[in-house]
Amino acid sequence: MSADRHPVYDVAVIGGGVVGCAVLRELSRYELKLLLLEKASDLAEGISKGNSGVIHAGFNVPTRSLKARTNVAGLKLVYELAETLGVPHRKTGKLVVALADEDRRRLEELKSQGDRSGVAGLEIVDEAAIRRLEPLARARWALYSSHTGIISPYEFTIALAECAAQNGAEVRLEAGVEAVAFEGGLFRLSTPQGTFAARRVVNSAGLFADEVARLAGIDAYRVFPCRGEYLITDKDCGLRLGMPVYPVPPRDDPGLGIHVTPTLEGNIILGPSAEPIEDKFDAASTRPVMARLKAEAGRLMPGLDRVSYIHSYTGIRPKLVDPRGGDTFADFVVEESPRRPGWVNLVGIESPGLTAAPALAEMVVAMLGVRLDLRLKPEFNPERPVRRRFAALDDDKRSRRVAGNADWGEMVCRCEHVTRAEVVEALRNPFGARTLDAVKRRTRCGMGRCQGGFCTPRLVEILQDEGVPVEKISKRGSDSRLFTGRIKGGT
Amino acid sequence: MSAGTVIDRLTCVLCPVGCALAVLKDDAGELQVEGNQCDKGVPFALGEVLHPMRNLATSVPVAGTAARMVSVRLTAPVPRELIFPILAEIARLRPQAPVRRGQVLLANALGTGADVIATRTVV
Amino acid sequence: MSAAIPRQSCDVAVIGGGPAGLAAALGARRAGASKVLLVEREKALGGILNQCVHDGFGLFLYKETISGPEYAERLIEDVVKEPIRVETGAMVLDLSAERVLRINSRAGYRLVEAGAVVLAMGCRERTRDQIEIPGTRPAGVLTAGSAQNLVNLQNLRIGREAVILGSGDIGLIMARRLAFEGIAVKGVFEILPWVSGLERNVRQCLLDFGIPLELRSTVVEIRGRDRVESVVVAEVDEKLAPVAGTERIIPCDTLLLSVGLIPENELARRAGVELSPLTGGAVVDETLMTSTPGVFSCGNVLHIHDVADWASFEGFAAGERAARYAAGERGGGETVSVSAASNVRYALPQRVSRGLAGVEWSFRVRRPVRDAVVEVKGRTSGRVYARRKFPRLLPSELQKIKVGPAVEEDLEVVSP
Repeated sequence: MSADRHPVYDVAVIGGGVVGCAVLRELSRYELKLLLLEKASDLAEGISKGNSGVIHAGFNVPTRSLKARTNVAGLKLVYELAETLGVPHRKTGKLVVALADEDRRRLEELKSQGDRSGVAGLEIVDEAAIRRLEPLARARWALYSSHTGIISPYEFTIALAECAAQNGAEVRLEAGVEAVAFEGGLFRLSTPQGTFAARRVVNSAGLFADEVARLAGIDAYRVFPCRGEYLITDKDCGLRLGMPVYPVPPRDDPGLGIHVTPTLEGNIILGPSAEPIEDKFDAASTRPVMARLKAEAGRLMPGLDRVSYIHSYTGIRPKLVDPRGGDTFADFVVEESPRRPGWVNLVGIESPGLTAAPALAEMVVAMLGVRLDLRLKPEFNPERPVRRRFAALDDDKRSRRVAGNADWGEMVCRCEHVTRAEVVEALRNPFGARTLDAVKRRTRCGMGRCQGGFCTPRLVEILQDEGVPVEKISKRGSDSRLFTGRIKGGT
Repeated sequence: MSAGTVIDRLTCVLCPVGCALAVLKDDAGELQVEGNQCDKGVPFALGEVLHPMRNLATSVPVAGTAARMVSVRLTAPVPRELIFPILAEIARLRPQAPVRRGQVLLANALGTGADVIATRTVV
Repeated sequence: MSAAIPRQSCDVAVIGGGPAGLAAALGARRAGASKVLLVEREKALGGILNQCVHDGFGLFLYKETISGPEYAERLIEDVVKEPIRVETGAMVLDLSAERVLRINSRAGYRLVEAGAVVLAMGCRERTRDQIEIPGTRPAGVLTAGSAQNLVNLQNLRIGREAVILGSGDIGLIMARRLAFEGIAVKGVFEILPWVSGLERNVRQCLLDFGIPLELRSTVVEIRGRDRVESVVVAEVDEKLAPVAGTERIIPCDTLLLSVGLIPENELARRAGVELSPLTGGAVVDETLMTSTPGVFSCGNVLHIHDVADWASFEGFAAGERAARYAAGERGGGETVSVSAASNVRYALPQRVSRGLAGVEWSFRVRRPVRDAVVEVKGRTSGRVYARRKFPRLLPSELQKIKVGPAVEEDLEVVSP
């Protein structure tokens, strides 16, 4: 198996989720030839899009664990990066509520854990304070964390990758690693896009990190998929939530307990649940869990079980311990393989992986730096060009945009008020992602209450205008094609 | 008073009463209609059973394009068994723009006397 | 340097250029409004009619049945004969209670102040998520209307084997459309014990093609990783809950949903218009004016119609009233409220000027009923203002009842 005529990369990152893209961005600060290989048709197709989008403060994981250390270190970095990269986010604060009196002790335990981990801004608050902080929450006691926030996890992922790309890193989609060989001191990664040689490899393949490691002859890991289901409300459901509200985590629940989280747009996310599943690809929502989500949400917040939900989705956690067993805590695994020096594995990166990502990236770079010659790029550009969405602009700015380019005047998404200009810009992303979901994640087109009913025919036209043939138009790549062709042969 | 087996049931559409009609066949093979509150229901039901007629509508691409469509329909109902043969004829049509609403794109489809007309104007 | 936002004005602004909006623009013009603006977000006027290539339209307005596009074109021809300002490819992003519209189009972003507004935005389709069908989220799940658009207007083959959920006319008509194009329809499933659409459509869209129809059934799961691979259907009980043990897997690659239409009232909400939970549309008086002064409503955005002609008649009336409002005519005065009782799902208008005679209501029943006597009665007095016998009432058919005497009290419309 010989390499195609591609350059030899200093580092190849396998997996384009938030961790892989954070690593790529961190590496792109240095004079290195970089490649990211993502098997799906866009970035953030795995657990990076299937979570609640919370920037955790770090108190709900055991002190001194890698999870806690990278969470706490990552917290500051996430806010800084989000600011620099222009990723919408908000420091909302968060309430962990005690629904029963005996749960107050749990709150104090959580606070102590947070204190020991160096988490700032934690306070036990009473009923009156709870009502002030979050009018929709009802509880006797709560732990208030003032540094917790919300962010769009996939926008963050994409922003990290865009920053890396503009600083010279290469990203290849639909390039899942199928085989790994070692030749001449280099790792040779075979993908549908060709074979690539790299001096070092970072395996951040999320749910499939164990399988990718096995391709390299590293059989040390096993990932147990644990699915979390979510429901999202209509923005106009009549309830306005200011900050995430979690119940005290039940001891027997391998997730975090069902919580409610606001989105930046004003929806409310219910979930996640936690079910061990057999098949890593089983992303289905189920009737009993949807019912349970609503029932538990109703307990937490009256009325939330009866509002209109516009969408359901799932995220599959990569657990390192069989969630069907008793004790469910397992720490992040970030290690260079002793069998394969130069190959770093990140396995079991579930929550708080989003917040920890930038800290994990620094850790990985430090590991690689022991063997690689790391020289900072003087011309590294930490920012990326960001344009505010049309829907967020005032009349004046809207008018000027349309006057400058008529594509800003053509509405594509009726629910989220997305214009053709934004759709075209999204389709012309630097990675070549041209699926409906790629447009959705970059523009919000299709995320509204009509769930694509209005915009889909329009997107189909625009995709063709942008050169995607009808048989290739897909929801998220490969087999998710929308059409089998034309009905009557045209032309 | 029933005479035979019910071979079809249908609701009459000729007036808002919407009689629930039944068409029966007796041992001699004779057909009879029941449930009608007026005479018109009888030929309606028998027609549906003996020689059902249907209109049809679809769309065809303008010549030289893959997705600029002209919607079309028949000017009169045709025997039901000719639906697919006529659709096959229609599928071959590639009208040249401009097309006027009402323009005949295929006259006397399969000898039925019904024309295929454009139902919108395409410039 | 700030560009001055173009600010225009008009007497009557009609939002939506479908069967109701086209009629409203004409109605306003014919009632003497000099500046009538018609705003349509598609590139062409006609609204949903443009994709309804089948016939059945125009029986009342044109005394013959024609297809949707023909019906639309005739109205459009009347509209362009008038000095009505038509803007297509233009979407109203916001409407204030003071009747200021924010419109965006390729021609520019601007504000329009209207003397009166007619809401004619039509409706959207209920989604898979709103009815909470469990399962995966593969490609191949479409609402029937979206499928109709892709098939009829873009010549796209949406799949090979389809299952249709919902026996409303859109679902039935799409079943036939797919059958025409050689796309196998494995079955149409309806959760209620009766068909939602016309029986004629069951015959001509399903029976003609041997497509099975199953009542009291629904889709309980969607399966397929990237594309639909199968759906699981099951029977339901009287509470519409799936009955365990009745599940069947139906292999298919497409699921069409025809599970209800929802009036598109986002703009109405922004303008503070009071909406009725029974219709999903505005609460209106006999002039079709909403709770926001000078804002009128008609067509599917007011309540879902089954006959486009009625949407147009409502449009003509709303347009005329809007023109009169813009010219300074004001109602005011007391109103009485009208509610629906028993088997009547809703009755419209929900408010009527006290003392008005000859008012006509539109209504729908919840369950089919034969030989029903429908009454309009005083809610507390029980006095019967009107009584009409209907040989057959179906939930899918909009009906009317007229009251001769002047209305002096709160009323209810009742049906067995």
